[in-house]
Amino acid sequence: MVKGLEDRLFNALVYAVLVFCALLAIFPILYVISVSITPFGEVLRNGGFILIPRDVTLTAYKTLLTQSNLPQAFKVTVLITVVGTAINLVLTGLMAYPLSRKNLPGRRLVLLMIVFTLIFSGGLIPTYLIVKSVGLIDSIWAMILPNAIWSFNVLIMKSFFEGLPEELFESARIDGAKEFRILFQIVTPLSIPVIMTIGLFYLVGHWNEFFQAIFYVTDRTLFPLQVIVREILMQSQQPLENADNITPTQTLQMASVMIASLPVLVVYPFIQKYFTKGMLLGSIKG
Amino acid sequence: MSSNAIKRTSALLTSLALLGAAVSACGGSKEGGNASPSPSSTQTASATGSASASPRASGNAGKKIKLEVIETGNNLPAPDQDIIKKELDKALNVDFNLTVYASGDDYKNQLNVRMASGNFPDLFALDRQQLIEFSKQGLLLDLTPYMDRLKQVSEFIGEENVKKGAVDGKVYAISKSSQIPYNTYFIRKDWLESLNLQVPKTIEELKKVAVAFTNDDPDKNGKKDTFGLTGGELNGAFAPVFGAFGVGSPGSIYEKDGKLVNALYDPAMKDALAYIKDLIATGAVDPELLANTALQHQEKAFKGQAGIVWIDWPNMTKQNMIEQIKAVNPNAEWIQMEPPAGPAGKFDGSWEIGNTPGRYAIPKALEKDPEKLQRVFDLLNYVSDPKGGSLLVQFGVEGTHYTKDGDKIVMTDKAGEVGYSWLYQFTGRPEMSYLQTKFVPQADFIKFANDQPRIQTLNGFVDLPEGYIASDADRYIKEELAKFAYGQRDLGEYDKFLKTLETTMKYKLFMDAAQAQLTALGYGSK
Repeated sequence: MVKGLEDRLFNALVYAVLVFCALLAIFPILYVISVSITPFGEVLRNGGFILIPRDVTLTAYKTLLTQSNLPQAFKVTVLITVVGTAINLVLTGLMAYPLSRKNLPGRRLVLLMIVFTLIFSGGLIPTYLIVKSVGLIDSIWAMILPNAIWSFNVLIMKSFFEGLPEELFESARIDGAKEFRILFQIVTPLSIPVIMTIGLFYLVGHWNEFFQAIFYVTDRTLFPLQVIVREILMQSQQPLENADNITPTQTLQMASVMIASLPVLVVYPFIQKYFTKGMLLGSIKG
Repeated sequence: MSSNAIKRTSALLTSLALLGAAVSACGGSKEGGNASPSPSSTQTASATGSASASPRASGNAGKKIKLEVIETGNNLPAPDQDIIKKELDKALNVDFNLTVYASGDDYKNQLNVRMASGNFPDLFALDRQQLIEFSKQGLLLDLTPYMDRLKQVSEFIGEENVKKGAVDGKVYAISKSSQIPYNTYFIRKDWLESLNLQVPKTIEELKKVAVAFTNDDPDKNGKKDTFGLTGGELNGAFAPVFGAFGVGSPGSIYEKDGKLVNALYDPAMKDALAYIKDLIATGAVDPELLANTALQHQEKAFKGQAGIVWIDWPNMTKQNMIEQIKAVNPNAEWIQMEPPAGPAGKFDGSWEIGNTPGRYAIPKALEKDPEKLQRVFDLLNYVSDPKGGSLLVQFGVEGTHYTKDGDKIVMTDKAGEVGYSWLYQFTGRPEMSYLQTKFVPQADFIKFANDQPRIQTLNGFVDLPEGYIASDADRYIKEELAKFAYGQRDLGEYDKFLKTLETTMKYKLFMDAAQAQLTALGYGSK
């Protein structure tokens, strides 16, 4: 296919812009990776900026994995993420599916209640009181159950289910399927994109768990990754008040950032193909 | 859809919700006792990390009690690796649960939520503002009637520090014992030598050296990539310069010729600003000075970009810092210098004597639990006992982390294991002997920094009046002073700046309050 000069120029421009954007995203990550595997003296000698590491060492990672609270926090975060996401998906799905059926009695009222929570919330202290009164304080569940369902995700899932053709349900019913069979054998397989997308939302949310941990948990062994990583980063950003304080080097800080973000970074590409599909959900109503 | 199916779905949903509730209830009673009132759950909660201590301690003073303490801090190890916690558990028959928050803001949020919801920790750190607020709300225990049970504490921190925890004459908090100043100018000795210069003795010489460091290529690399002076923002970099003019750091209040003076109203303030403006105009000052919020100035010094920096000795002379400096340039050598002399003599910045490095309060609710309250008192007395617990929270376990040589304490090479022990120093420590023991190679730096004359400021004694918003005023002061220093606003307008500060920022309120409160304490009446 022969293209005009104008077309090719246009394409080149598009590519240039895209490459530029990609670089914008890649540079910071590359910087973090490079600093995390370079001895700190080397970093300083280069004026604090290194993109291509020459002198590679993994001591920072070794230090973090053996001498800090990171490994324990990592376990906590993995647990929260796996258990939490599973609970999220089951509950969100079970909430969204009935609401997507137009003949559900009281559907409008329930939907209204869900939308209401999107706009108004009880605030921090009432929420804390509830979490406290059900005895969740200082337990791992305090980081999972208060956010077991995000109303926004319910709405996204609901509109996806609504987009499934009605004929599917009819034919399934004619074949003798009951509601549960329809949900688990017809709807669920067809909903992989939305499940993946919402699952990723939840997963990232749990992985970045911070505020609930800060508020509801005081047991150090239950602190998730981000709390510990923030602690490591904060130490060097506060003016020294105590001679005993040991400031972690930049190398150590960057290594902790890598440990915290690498797993999600690795998961992303595999879910991405669903992601683009799922992100468009709700933008067109069927 | 049949109505039957709907019923089933809703039944499933309900049962799931119930399941959730059940699971959460289990989690609560298994993991954390402090929220639930039942004593049995508190017992099981103490299992982690303190199992080793329980059989020995249960014999002496009644049952084991869980104590919860929160404060800011970092680097606390997990409870089962926390040697200090284990020792405290043993000594006091408690299950000690210390939680630290790295960021002051996070900590404040946590504390506010807990105070508001009635889920009080048994002992917690707080700042002066919170102390006033919480005590007015009746949330804090008035310690005045209990002072005879806290004898060890008041002896340890001294009468003046006891007063610092008082609001309207009632003691609501235990203040830590005072610290000593750490900061001085550090200067690159090898740069001075390479340019044949002497350590500057006056502010004029300081300017000369700073300019030479900038223009004469002190690192001999043929590039003009250095500058003279850096520090944390204006107040940091120029603290000794303000001192040379007899001025405290902007906004501070001090006695001068027997009268109370606010640095901003000090007539010498304008002279100091004029000198700083000149110095900045020579280009010898870190161009990013105002952005040096955390430790960027230290990094610049390490990188060999700056030759003079006003900073604390731990960040320049501790072993790991020396290693970093030498890694960049093996020839680099930093030395402390005395504050340069100016029209008013020499002062190495100002030093706040009204403040305390920290204070801890006990919730009023603990009144109803005398047994627990006694354990909190025991704890505070214990860490204040110079022959007992204080040694533990200062230096660790005798025989393991330190040894006694007569009266002298010598740290062993295992001392690093308890480097976090300062988190447990709820009543502070005898600062000088502590530092001299713990940082032997730095002993001279510590003494040098402590020996420098400083302007003693009194702001810590002043409770802010209502209607005065300190953060707004401080920001305005900082912005305008930066404009004066960088020549963006003419110094002739200085009085206009004060006027705006007094009216728009309500600084007058603060001034009046400070005057009244400090006079009542006996300052400024010589």
